[in-house]
Amino acid sequence: MFLEAKNINKGFGAEKVLDDLSLQLAEHEMLSILGRSGSGKTTLLKILAGLESPDKGMVLLQGQDMGPLPPNRRNIVYLYQEPLLFPHLNVFENIAFGLRLRKAPEGAVQKRVAEMLANLELPEQARKMPHQLSGGQRQRVAFGRALIINPKVLLLDEPFGALDAETRASMQQLLKRIAKAFAITALFVTHGLKEALIMGDRIGLMQQGELKVYDSKKAFIEDVETGVQAEMDFWREIE
Amino acid sequence: MSIEEQKSQINGISLILIAVILFPFAFLLMLSLGRRWAYPMLLPAEWTLDNWQAIWGGQAGLGESLLLSLALSLSIATIATAGSFWVSKQVAYHRNRQRWLVLAYLPYVFAPVILAACLQYFFIRWGLSGKLGGVAIAQLFITFPYGLIFFTSFWTERMLSLEQLIATLGGNTWQAYTKVLLPVAKGPILTCFFQLFLISWFEYGLTALIGVGKVQTLTLKVFQYINEANLFFAALASCLLVMPPIVLLWLNRRYVFSKVI
Repeated sequence: MFLEAKNINKGFGAEKVLDDLSLQLAEHEMLSILGRSGSGKTTLLKILAGLESPDKGMVLLQGQDMGPLPPNRRNIVYLYQEPLLFPHLNVFENIAFGLRLRKAPEGAVQKRVAEMLANLELPEQARKMPHQLSGGQRQRVAFGRALIINPKVLLLDEPFGALDAETRASMQQLLKRIAKAFAITALFVTHGLKEALIMGDRIGLMQQGELKVYDSKKAFIEDVETGVQAEMDFWREIE
Repeated sequence: MSIEEQKSQINGISLILIAVILFPFAFLLMLSLGRRWAYPMLLPAEWTLDNWQAIWGGQAGLGESLLLSLALSLSIATIATAGSFWVSKQVAYHRNRQRWLVLAYLPYVFAPVILAACLQYFFIRWGLSGKLGGVAIAQLFITFPYGLIFFTSFWTERMLSLEQLIATLGGNTWQAYTKVLLPVAKGPILTCFFQLFLISWFEYGLTALIGVGKVQTLTLKVFQYINEANLFFAALASCLLVMPPIVLLWLNRRYVFSKVI
């Protein structure tokens, strides 16, 4: 398996956040994780990225134990709900950031950033500063900044949470397209039922620190705990 | 009242305010250039540059005091800004953040002079009393906590997230500081540096107590001349005293506030 989390436990004081959680993620797969606020989704992603340490359990990437590796050597990028663009750098330099860290040759930086800008439909915005962009544009730049370094895994923590419904829908389509084009392996965390269904190749439900991953979307829809049935009933009643 | 009349009224008030603010500086300059200025004469009987020439080479030691004050305040501002920037980060993300911040406020709650009086025993015992090093350490007791309090608000959850993001993008701590944190903090760092420079520059009580009159900063000189009723030299020393802050204000306006991100 490409990415594996085995029996992860994590608590903050007396509060148990992750309870013997295990998951498997195949290469080029996007797993949606649906969960309410406080269900432990963010903690799980931070443990996978190396930003938090588990109390127990281990994370394996391509069979290698990630435990001893610091976040900057895992090649797992964690994206927040907020785009967190660097305010002193323009769009071009924000996207080029990871390449500059790796001291990539200038010619390669120019070429790859130009390609990424085209992929994100942002070539006209290259010289703009982050505060001159819309919410959706900022999130696209954040994707570009992450994707340009070819991460092994992309962890997306409710990336569209702060966007309006229309921008959110177009961003979902854009991410789907990019995920396919770049063959991304990703975990997509959301509290939106519809978004979980749209984005994931598979879907998991997180409740009180436990994760249940469904074999198919049908199984997810049929499970009463996911809330899909209640949602469908609601729309039927309106009809 | 028409708009034109309102405008001219505002302009008039502005001019009066500017004149009120600038008058003390103009008066000091005049006093430093004047001689034999007795009541009821409106202006000095004699104008001379003798006082100003006494800065260098005169027995007043004003030049030495100016250089000493500049070296001391620049060093204090640099050390306290750099140190408090780093330490404030540890405090901001510490679980006992509030407790550490209360400690940082203590020098101001007790007043710097009282703090110096309390610490004087240790300064004498360690041979720091009357020494430049002792004055520098004493000034750090008030400037460092100021910087700490100043920077704590900079280290927000957003900054922590930025740092974590840089790490997952492959950056190490050095790269996080040099490529993002320091450029983003440039404005606050320069503002803090200027403020700490000013605190050190105008510091009197602490410097007088720990320096026991042997460390003659420019601020101490001004008070010395005032006590001696040497008005012309006091005015000259005051002119020198306000010059660096004016330069800093100009730099602040030109390079900091216009470019703060």
